[in-house]
Order: sequence, then structure tokens, then C-alpha cells
Amino acid sequence: MNSNQVFDLNAWIFISIYLGSLILVGFLGYRARQENTLKDFYLAGNGFGLIVIFLTLYATQYSGNTLFGYSGKTYRIGYAWIMSVHFMTAIVACYLIYAPRLYARARQYNYITPTDYLQHRFNSNWINVVATLIMIVVLSNYLLAQLMAMGRAMQGLSSADPALAYQQGVILLTLIIVIYGTLGGIRAVAWTDVIQGLVLMVGFIVLLFMLFKQFGPISLATTTIQQTQDVTKVNVPDANRIREWVSYIIIVGLGSTLYPQAIQRIYAARSEKVLRQALAFMAFAPLFTSLIAVITGIYAIAYIPGMEGTASDQVLARILSIIQQNSILGYWLVVILYAAILAAMMSTADSALLSISSMLSKDIYGRFVDSNASEAKLTFLGKLFSWCLIIFLVWLAIYLSDKASLLKLLDRKFDMLIQLVPAFMVSIHWRGMQALPTFIGLVIGVLVSLLLAYGGFDFVQNGKIYGFHPGLIGLVINITIAVTGSCIMNKNK
Amino acid sequence: MKRQYWIITVYIVFLVSGIPWYWPDNTTYLVLGLPVWFFVAILVSTFASLFTAFILLRYSWDTEIKPDE
Repeated sequence: MNSNQVFDLNAWIFISIYLGSLILVGFLGYRARQENTLKDFYLAGNGFGLIVIFLTLYATQYSGNTLFGYSGKTYRIGYAWIMSVHFMTAIVACYLIYAPRLYARARQYNYITPTDYLQHRFNSNWINVVATLIMIVVLSNYLLAQLMAMGRAMQGLSSADPALAYQQGVILLTLIIVIYGTLGGIRAVAWTDVIQGLVLMVGFIVLLFMLFKQFGPISLATTTIQQTQDVTKVNVPDANRIREWVSYIIIVGLGSTLYPQAIQRIYAARSEKVLRQALAFMAFAPLFTSLIAVITGIYAIAYIPGMEGTASDQVLARILSIIQQNSILGYWLVVILYAAILAAMMSTADSALLSISSMLSKDIYGRFVDSNASEAKLTFLGKLFSWCLIIFLVWLAIYLSDKASLLKLLDRKFDMLIQLVPAFMVSIHWRGMQALPTFIGLVIGVLVSLLLAYGGFDFVQNGKIYGFHPGLIGLVINITIAVTGSCIMNKNK
Repeated sequence: MKRQYWIITVYIVFLVSGIPWYWPDNTTYLVLGLPVWFFVAILVSTFASLFTAFILLRYSWDTEIKPDE
């Protein structure tokens, strides 16, 4: 962050108590374990009730990117980033496509990892390996984004040299996550999500209150932008932005439901009623989360002009700096908000890490290296893989510290994740779906998406083709191959 | 009409009405200090959330697996 908040000792004590409570919860999760099995470590045995499932879904879904990335994107493109409220709402609607059937199967067949469904449905190692690799790459990318955001948050808290504060922030916060994650597994992650989710909700409401108090009504911000800034940020979006809007709704709506940690939360609900109720609450989350991040960006356009490029991801920090300097109340509200910011990042990172460790141990090691490994051994290896992976990602986060905007990282992962739509969402409704065309479609879909994204083509502008994400083009080809191929195979049977 | 078809239809209506493709480029009218197209986008999103919550709470999920599935 460019502007340091520089907290006093009392604020540091508050933040330290908060961080220490996470380790304590991790220890409680460790004490609460019932058996040394994968199901107990990754799904908490018989699952969670409504409050835990809702808050773990909420804390996991809303990340550091929501706070920093969305306010920064609003700053860059203007009011049109209200599309983020639409695509976050679309996520819950997209759960309706396949969560009911997936939940039923997960309960009946004791799924633990996301690809357990694919293995059961297709009985194909090829699909499983590719799907697992896609999920691990995507989640590692996601996790990396959270680690980088944690480093930037700590830059804002510390009076130390910014580069040093970033490194210390990444290492310290990641260490806390990996300690409670490997101690208590999903219980620690979900229970800390309860704390983090509550802190995050309070933080967003506090932020809205602070914005109104500091800068006045939003009508004033709109008028200021119209009079002094680039009016295109207020005007009706152009045709390219409208296409981008549609593209985001589809790609994030479908893609986010296919996050491995999201799928495992479907598995981990105690009953279908609990899951339905938690998702019903989640339907309203964009209105008190993404919308507030967009409003933050709008205030920043009006009152903090002149930030460009990746620096614009720091508009939230600049706003907090202004509020903090204004009054004692403002100072303490900023302290609470910083706890919320850390909560958002850590709760997303811990879930991603746990999910990756389950896939590495069960889907890769347990399936291809040692199929006779005991549950205790796989659980231990999952923890070991967590530590190895996180060390590598911490190094990468430090190396990439000033090289990528948060939202660029977000864009590419959905291009890959959405290629799993036929394998999960189509196959769960259509029994005629066959393994071979599904596999070919998946591979070609991923290759087309990546080729379009990174091929340097003239028609790809800002990573999109006429406003559409490359992943959507890949998905159309992917579904066409999977469905047509399955129809042909069914006909020839 | 089967349940899933009318649910999909309602979501398409939300999609078409929430995205501001139909507003003239020179629209500058404000509602509660917000551009009208922005205000409508929030309003439609609120209705979409209410509708989604209604669907989730109104209809229970069939968790029985048929033998051939």
C-alpha cells in the first residue's frame, strides 16, 4: 500500500488478539477431531449446521480481491463495475443447476474431493487427472492472489520499509493459516471462517458508515465525478462493456460454483435443508459486500483522483488513511476494518489450501502412487503437501509483489475452471454423457482458452474477445465436442 | 410448465432487464444520486436475490438416488 496507516500499540494488540484467536480455534478443531480419517479432516465427519455453513461459504467466497480488486476496478472503469454485484448473485443461482443432485450423491457415496464425483460418474483416470490438475492450478493461482493481498494489507499497517513489510506480512499471516489449517483441518478452517465471516460483515458495514461520514452522500460523489472527472465512468456503458458484463455473469457465476472448496462445502453440509438455507442467505451477500466495494471505488473516483494501473488497487488503503487521520473514532473503525480485510484474505486462503491438500493426497497420491495407503497416512501427507506448497507460493508472492494487478489474476483462473462445466453440470443431468468426448472436450476447451488468452492475437483486447472471456469460447467448443461425441457414441452402441 | 423452465425464464428476465444495454447513451438522469441505469441494476439484483432465496426456501431437494443413476 502506498499510504501507511501506522497503528499504535493498542491497535496492534487488537490485531494480535484476533490473529491469536485463529490459532486457538485451530487447536480447538484439533481437539474436536473424532477420528484420523480423510472424511473427518476434510469434511468434519457428519458436517456443519446452518450458521457455520453460511459463514464459511461467505468468508470463503468474499476475498481480499472483493475489497481491493473490486474497489480498484470500479476506480478504473467506473459505475459499470456494478456488474460485480450481478455476477456474485449469479453464483448462488448457478448452484441451483447442480448442487441438489451433487449433494445427494455425495451423501450416498461418501465423496471427499470434488473429483470423487467424476471418478464415480465416468470411471476415467484421464478425466480425473486433468480435472484435478486444473483445480490445483486454479486454486494455487487463487491462493497466490490472497497471499499477495495479505502482504499489501500488512504494508498498510506497518511503518517499516514497504518491501520488508510486504514480505513479513505474507510470511506471518501464511504461517498462521497453515498452522491452524493443518492442526484442525476443515473444522479449524470453518470455525475460523465463522469469526472471519462475522468480522468481515461488520467490517463492510463499518466501511459504508465511514464513507458516508467522511465524504457525505453518494449523490455528492456522483455530481463531483460528473463535473470534474472522466464522465464516461458515470455514463451508460458502451456495447463492449455490456458484452463484458454478460461474459462476467456467465464465467464467474458458473466458475465460482466449481471451486473445489465450494464443492467440498456442498459435501460438508449436515443436511440438504441446511445447505438450502445457507445458500438463501448467500443470495443477499453481494448487496452488503460487493456493492459496498463498488461504492468505495465511486468515492475514490470522486475524491482521490490520479491513481493509475496496479496502483489503483490501493484506493481502499488511501481512503482508510484519510478516515484514520480524521478522528479517534475513525482510527478505531479503520483498525476494525483492517481486521476484516485480513479476515477476508485469510479465510479464502485457508480454504483453498485445505482443498488443494485434499486433492494432492487423495486424488494424486492415493490414486496413482499408493492406492493402499491408509487414511491416516493420506491425512498426514495432505498436511505435508500443504506446507510444501505454501512455502513455494510464499516465495512466488514475494517475487511477484509488484508485477500483476489483482484482477488479472482473477480473470485467467475462471477461463480454466469453467471448462469443468460439462463434466460436472451437464453429466449430472444427462446420463448419456460419455467419458471420452468429455475428456477431449475438456482438454481442447482448456487449450483454446489459454491459446486465446496468451496467444497475442490482435482480436484479443485486454484479455477478452469483443468483451467475452476466452474461457467462454473454449467452453462452447468444449460442450459441443462433449455433447456431440456422446450422442454419436450412444447411437453406435 | 415444468418448474425449472419458469425459473430459467425469470432469471433470463432479470438478466435482460438488469444489464443496461437498452438505455440511450446520453442518459444522465439520477435517482437517489445514482445514474438511473446503475440504480435499476441494483434494483434488479435485489429482486434476483429475493427470487433465488424464495426458490431455495420454497422447494426442498430430492436427495433420493434412483437405482440406475
